[in-house]
Parts: sequence; structure tokens; C-alpha cells
Amino acid sequence: MTDYEAIIGLETHIQLNTQTKIFCACKADSWYDPPNTNICPVCTGLPGVLPVLNRAAVEKAALLALAMHAEINEVSYFDRKNYFYPDLPKGYQISQYDRPLASGGYMEVPMPATPERPAYVRRVNIIKLHIEEDAGKTKNVNGRRWIDFNRCGVPLVEMVTGPDLRSADEAAQYLIRLRQLLRWLGISEADMEKGHLRCDANVSIRPKGATYFNPKTEIKNVNSIENVRDAIQHEIERQIREVEAGHAIEAWTLEWDEDAGVLRKMRSKETEADYRYFKEPDLLPLRIDAAWKAAILAQRVELPLERRQRFIEAYGLPEYDAEILTGERALSDYFEQAVQAYGGDPKKVSNYLMNDILRMLNESGKSAAELRLTPAYLAEILKLADAGTINTSTAKALLQRVEESGRSPREIVEAEGLAKVSDAEAIRAVCHEVITENPNEVATYRKGKVTLIAWFVGQVMKKMRGKADPTLARQILEELLKGE
Amino acid sequence: MELCDLSAHELSLLLRQRRVSAVEVLESCLQRISQVDGRPGSLEPGAPQPEDAERVHAFITLTAERARAQAETVDRRLAAGEPVGLLAGIPFTVKDIFCVKGTPSTAGSRILANFVAPYTATPVARLEAAGALMLGKVNLDEFTYGSSNESSAFRPTPRNPWKLDRVPGGSSGGSTASVAAGEAPLSLGTDTAGSIRQPAAFCGVVGVKPTYGRVSRYGLIAFGSSLDCPGPIARNVVDAALMLQVIAGPDPHDSTAANLPVPDYLAALEEGVRGLRIGLSPDYFRITFPDAVRGEYDQQPIPGEIEAAVRRAADILADLGAEIVENVPMPNTRYGIPAYFVISRVEAASNLHRYDGVKYGYRTPQPVQDLHEMYRKTRNEGFGLQPKLRILMGMYVSAAQYSAQYYQRALRVRTLIRRDFEQAFDPQGKYRLHALLTPTTPTTAFPVGAVYGDSVLMQYADQLTVPANHAGIPGISIPAGLDHEGLPIGIQFLGPDFSEALLLRIARAFERATEEASWRRARPEVLQRLVA
Ligand SMILES: [Zn+2]
Repeated sequence: MTDYEAIIGLETHIQLNTQTKIFCACKADSWYDPPNTNICPVCTGLPGVLPVLNRAAVEKAALLALAMHAEINEVSYFDRKNYFYPDLPKGYQISQYDRPLASGGYMEVPMPATPERPAYVRRVNIIKLHIEEDAGKTKNVNGRRWIDFNRCGVPLVEMVTGPDLRSADEAAQYLIRLRQLLRWLGISEADMEKGHLRCDANVSIRPKGATYFNPKTEIKNVNSIENVRDAIQHEIERQIREVEAGHAIEAWTLEWDEDAGVLRKMRSKETEADYRYFKEPDLLPLRIDAAWKAAILAQRVELPLERRQRFIEAYGLPEYDAEILTGERALSDYFEQAVQAYGGDPKKVSNYLMNDILRMLNESGKSAAELRLTPAYLAEILKLADAGTINTSTAKALLQRVEESGRSPREIVEAEGLAKVSDAEAIRAVCHEVITENPNEVATYRKGKVTLIAWFVGQVMKKMRGKADPTLARQILEELLKGE
Repeated sequence: MELCDLSAHELSLLLRQRRVSAVEVLESCLQRISQVDGRPGSLEPGAPQPEDAERVHAFITLTAERARAQAETVDRRLAAGEPVGLLAGIPFTVKDIFCVKGTPSTAGSRILANFVAPYTATPVARLEAAGALMLGKVNLDEFTYGSSNESSAFRPTPRNPWKLDRVPGGSSGGSTASVAAGEAPLSLGTDTAGSIRQPAAFCGVVGVKPTYGRVSRYGLIAFGSSLDCPGPIARNVVDAALMLQVIAGPDPHDSTAANLPVPDYLAALEEGVRGLRIGLSPDYFRITFPDAVRGEYDQQPIPGEIEAAVRRAADILADLGAEIVENVPMPNTRYGIPAYFVISRVEAASNLHRYDGVKYGYRTPQPVQDLHEMYRKTRNEGFGLQPKLRILMGMYVSAAQYSAQYYQRALRVRTLIRRDFEQAFDPQGKYRLHALLTPTTPTTAFPVGAVYGDSVLMQYADQLTVPANHAGIPGISIPAGLDHEGLPIGIQFLGPDFSEALLLRIARAFERATEEASWRRARPEVLQRLVA
């Protein structure tokens, strides 16, 4: 039987999170607003209006281009893409065609190891990256067509990969990394369910090792990464079945039916539509001069994969920790700030983050930047524990207390007397109590069941509400149990 | 002479001296309109009426109450000694291609006949902010597509006040007719290939096509977006300068509006032409047009009396101290119309996409099976012949398989036309011109119905004006005499980018030097009849 490989290219539309639309002053995000409330003469295409470019959209798109290692073109142009549709109020979409914002570029997608194969990196070329305006939304209800123009003029980046992905998993990983990056850069909410990140997939198969391309199908309207993975996997399997059965693959456009988990044919791919592109005469060429470019470069930040590598090298973190800590920019910033404030072993900070703080974030739905338990407070708790002022259980309890109160850990420790009791006499007195109150256990211990010591320590800790120095308590207990 | 026959400049002095009120000025204009304009253009004109041929028919919508409210405000301010704008109390008309809040903004088309604009175009807003009184919206060729005003869906269409069986020119024919007939001293027009200058020449008034981007296009219903220029129409150069002063300047709503300060167009207006180099080009004394049967180009000299008017103007300017430079080659002038045919139609077809019956304007009342039938019927019923021709040609030449042959090539021709001007105006070049002097049009006003229907021939009426639109440079057309039938002849000055002040100054020098010329005493037919 022939061994096949899949050839996959993804076309993504990314909604930039600017305050206002790309060519007018209307609010860009209308997710929570009723239809046709964020509109004006410009974005509804009234006669005589003109577009005025929102520079913030250009800057956000340029940041993405830089992150894709693409070259920002000093001069790019807007073009009109002409077609009729009721939710396209001007009858053309302002887009970019042959001289887009950026050229070239690639993204490296790390593929984690699985039981079948080691980890590897897939390099995905970016063959198109340009800015454009979104169209409105059409809804068909009872045979009537309703149009919401709120989304008209919302800034988008269209980004298209080369046919470089080789499996449904790779496609999903690409989207996971892209979503992480968009949020990291702060340029898009990248929520697929809300259409901030939209993805169409082109899929074909060929015998492994072949260098030619077979006809491809296009999968549209998939609204989560999981569904993209499932839809592509289904399509690969379908194509293999067809080819194995001796059928040719036709260039269809397919739609993913999420509920049924099946692909449906939308249409046969007709001949390429002629959009009669021409340069948009209402906008000047988009010139990104040296000063503007410098300002954009100044906003550039370390990217997640770069930071992940640095965490491994500079802080000696295991790859697993580094991956999780750089999953989100705020979390990785938190980690670094805490490490700096602490000055001790970064792995210790990592442990607190991975175990306790991540849980706290998940439970509260907050981002790391919103925690009242600041990196400085976390560092303070670690230092208090290192100095022996508090024990580990107090330290863990303190995390929650600080987060709830917003007060500094030191303040809480002092006000509530949470400091570890290292006073041997105080501990000795409690140890006496425990021994007196538990003659049966004492007898058992003395008969040789020395492992009961842990139980005795526990009793002491309980009486002292966790403040006792456990090492000291154990020493005293051993001494008392032996001596009598 | 009535108040309405005075210039904006003269009226302004009288108003400031409080010898007349803005309301009086307005009433004078309204009276003139009621005397000469006849019934306004309408989609359902019914049978032609005998008096239609005796009237100007400049207006589609009269906004007398809007103007009256504005006039009363101006009078109150003047009475209170408060400062007023540069054009306070001066009436003006607006080509109905501009959106003005609360007024029907029709573009002379059935498809927009019921469209009431919810916002105001920048140049109109600036005129009103300067105290000018908007009298109404005047007729034009449908979507500005034409050179005779006969293509408007609103009928009767305007006639030439100088001779009522002649067209006023177009597409700003309602504008120039309203100014020539004394209905308003000023009108706001647009010029895409000559649509201000050609009707100005036909109607014996002054028309300025500013540098592309000098006046904001915001609110101008687009034809050829890379060519369209709003500009002033007036009865003399001073008034045109006043109006340009008010409407020019950067606009945050139009990113193609030049971000340059507006010079004082009046300051140097009277400084004369001594030492200026003014060129004449043989390429502007002939026209080239296609022979439909042979498919070849023919060349024809322009009529002798038009060339003579230009040469006479050159002599006058020479007498005033200008240096006349003969034989300036402008070899790409002849390609202006073919290139324009392509570029303007690609842009026009795209600009017309939005009129689809979905959001505003006309929608077919007929039952439809689906969306596409709604589109087809709406556009078929809503658009007149001229938009349809432009859509067909625009779609054809921008199709992927033809675009390189036509559209891209036309853009290269456009660059060549621009280069002709750059070489002529280059201060280090061979000709070092300050301005080029040319005829505005290859003919004087032609009879109603004589050319309409031959859209190719009609287009060639713009042959001498369209190069400035390709190049983006400014031009001004001013009256320079009458032909053997007593019809106005226009001459045109073209200059480098943003040379409006200089062009106005040259035009003003000619105007002063010919103040006493006998042809200046001639009056349009429609006004002669009034006196009689
Ligand atoms: Zn808007």
C-alpha cells in the first residue's frame, strides 16, 4: 500500500484589536453590541465618503510581520478588491494585492515528542501578509436577509502559509503558536470562537517522497483549533480513501459541520473570480519611513519561543517548565520579575508558579499581571521561608492570604503571629502535652514502632497551628519518648 | 443691473458697509431664479412645455429656507458688529454631486434620486462656515459623466444662458449656467476631465480646477477618484480666488488632500505678469479624434476664431510684460482622451458598485427571484445610459486578462502626460514656463442634441482640459471673447502643482487689461430678454 503525506496550507484572517476601525473612527469591537450600532457614513459606504487609514492597525500588522521574520516594505499600496455582496457596502473591499505591507517570512513550529516519534520543528513559510478591512455579517432569517454593518471596516491581517504543513497536528500546532503569538504581541484577542482568528485550510495528499502537488480542497468555516485538526484529519483520510479507490480528487470547497463532525461540499471550485484589483485612489501609498519603522521596532518584544529558550539557558529551567511559563506573556513576565526580586533558585520560583499560582490563575480567571500577589510579594514569601521565619505550609497558605487581602506577606506574618516557633521551650511544653495525652501511642512507639514519630510531630504541629519548626519538634519528641 | 448681477467681491463690500443686507442679496437671487430658471429638473418631467426652451433649468433642488436662515444669521452678526466669514452673505449653488446634510444629493441619477445625505461635503461645509448662503443643488450630467449636461436623469436639463438652444457644457453645466444667468455669483463644481473649465468656457464664466488634493473630495460623490477636483465657478477672477481661499486646504477626512498651507490667493492678485514666461503649444491648437469607420486618428485644427482668441490673449499678456514662449511641445496631449477613457472608467465602474439597491437609493419595485435579480433590475432601472457605458467599459478594461493591455498602459501614458508638463515648467529646463496658455475647448457651445448620443465625440470636447487632470496640475478657464455667433470663447492657463495663486494672477491681469473690450459688454440672451 502506498504511504501518503498530506500537504496543508492555512489561510488565516486575524482581527487586530485596535480601538477604532481601519478607515473611520467607529469602535472596532462590536462583540457585545447590537447590530448596526458602530457604524458611520464611511464604513457603510455612503456616497462621497473617503477612507482615512488608522495607523495603529498598520503598527500592529507590522509587529506581526516582524514576528514572522518578514520584511516590512517601505512602500506598500492598498487595492480595491471588487465584488458584489450585500454586506460589502462599497462593492469593493479595500485590501492589499501585489505590493503588500510585508514580504517573505516564516514561523518555526515546535512539534512536541509523542510515543511514536521524537520532537521536531516544522518551518512554515509565510507567502502572504497584508492588511485589509473586514466586511459585515449577513444573517438569513425566515427567507429574509439581515445585514449587520458593525464589522465593516474592522482591521484584519490576512496571512497565508505555504503548503508546508504535513499533518493535521502540525496545522493545529501552527494555530496554537499563532494564537499564542498574537496574544503575546497584544495585537489580537485571537479568539477563534469570536472570529478574531479565522482559518481556512487547503488540503491535498501525495505519495510520500513525491515533489508534485495534487488538486487540493479548501475547508472553510472552522471555528476552533480542535475543529481545524479534526476537519483536516477527516479530509486527509477521505482523500486517501478516494485515491485508493481509484477516484480523482476534485477541487471542492468544503464546510465543516461541527455538530455532525463531517465535511460537507459547499461548491465545486469555479474558475478563479476576477476581482479587478486596482490601486485604491482614495488612499496614499503606505509609506513606512525610517522614523515610523524605528518606532515600530521599538515596540518589538522578545517572542515566546525566544524567551522559552532563554529561560532554559539563563535560569536552568527544564524544557517543560519553560514551555508552560512562556505560554503567556504576562505569566513569563511575572516569573522573571519574581526571580529578580527573589535572587534565589529560579526553579523554586518556577515550582511555586507551576503548582500554586497557575491554579490560582485558572480558578480566578485573572491574568498574571492582575494578581494582587505581585512578583515582589511572591519573592518575599520565598525569602521568609528560606530564612526559616515561616515553614512551607505557612508559605503556601500565605499565597492565598496575600492574594485575598493585597497586604504584604511580612505584614500578615507579623500581624497574625504566623512566624515559625523555634523556641525550644515552647515546643517542649507542647510535646509534653502530646505525650501525656496519648499513652497508647507512646507505648506502641516504645515497643519499637518508631515510624510513629511522624504522627507525634503532626500532633504537635496541629496544636501549634503549623507554626512549630518541625525539625526541632521531632528532635524534642525523640528525646522525650526515649528518655522515659 | 440687479444685486444678483454684482460679483461676490462687490456684494461683500456692500454687505460690510451695511448698504445692503444678506437677505436682500438672497431675495435678489431668488427673484432672478424665479424669472429665468423655469421648472426644476425632475425624474418625471412629463411632456415638454413650450417655455422649457426659454429657461435655464439650472436647479434640481432649491434650498431657499436654508439660505434665508443663513442670511438672517449673517445680517444679525453684521448688525451686532460681530466678525463674519470671508463669504458672509454671498449666495452660491452646489453641483448636485456633493452631499449636503438634509438635502437630496442625487448625482443627477435616478439611482440616487431619493438619497438625502446625512452629512455635508467638506467644501460645502467650509463655504457655509464662511457665511456663504447655499441656494440649492444644481443639475449636472448623470454622475458627472458628460460634457453637455444632457445625460442628467433630471429634466429639463440646463441650457446655456448665452443662447438657449445651446448646451451649457458639462458636467458642471448647472453650476456655470446658474452663475452666468445671475442666479448666484458663485457655484461649487467638480472637474474630472474638464467638467469645470469646459462649461465655464461655454457659459462665459471663470472656472478653476485646482491642483489634485488642494480641495478636499470628502462628500463629493466619486467619478474618477484619482482625477476628481472640486473647484470654484464665478463671474470673475477675484471671486474665484475668494472662493478658492475658503474651500482649499487639508482635511482630516481626505487623506489625498494636500497637507500644505493655503496661500493668500488675493494678496498677489493684482501684481501683473511682468517677467512671467507663458507658453503656447501647437499641440493645443489641434485636436485628434478617432474616425469610427476607418478606426484611425484624424487631426483637425481648432476653429480659427478660437486660436485667434488665444493668440490675442498672448499679445495682451506680452504687452503687459510677459514673455511668450512659442512652440512648446506637449506631444502626449493627444493620448489624454484614450488614457482617460480607460482610467476614469475603471475607477467609475468600481465607484458605482455601491449603488446596488441594498442600503439607500433606488431599488427596483418589481418582484425578484433572488439577490442577483434585485441587483440587475435595480441597476438597470436606476442607471442611465452614461453610467452603464462606463460600467461596461470599466469592467472590460480592468478584467484580469486585459488590465495590462489597457489599465496599466493607460497609467503609463498618464505618467508621460505629466512629464510633458514637468518639462515645460522645469525652472532649469528649456522652456521654464510659469504657465501654459491654451484654448479651453475645441469648440464653443454646441447645440442641444447635436453631439449627445455619440459618447466618443462628446468625450473629445475634453481633449484640451483632460491633460491637467491626468497630471494633477491646476488650470483656470476665463472668458476671452465671443465667436461669430456671439458665444463665449474660453482660454485656459495651466501651471505646475499648487500654482493657483500665479494662475489667478495671470488671469486677473488679462481680465483687467480687457475690462473695456467690447465683447465684455455683451450679455447672455436670457438676461437680454429680461431687460426687454
Ligand atoms: Zn465607521
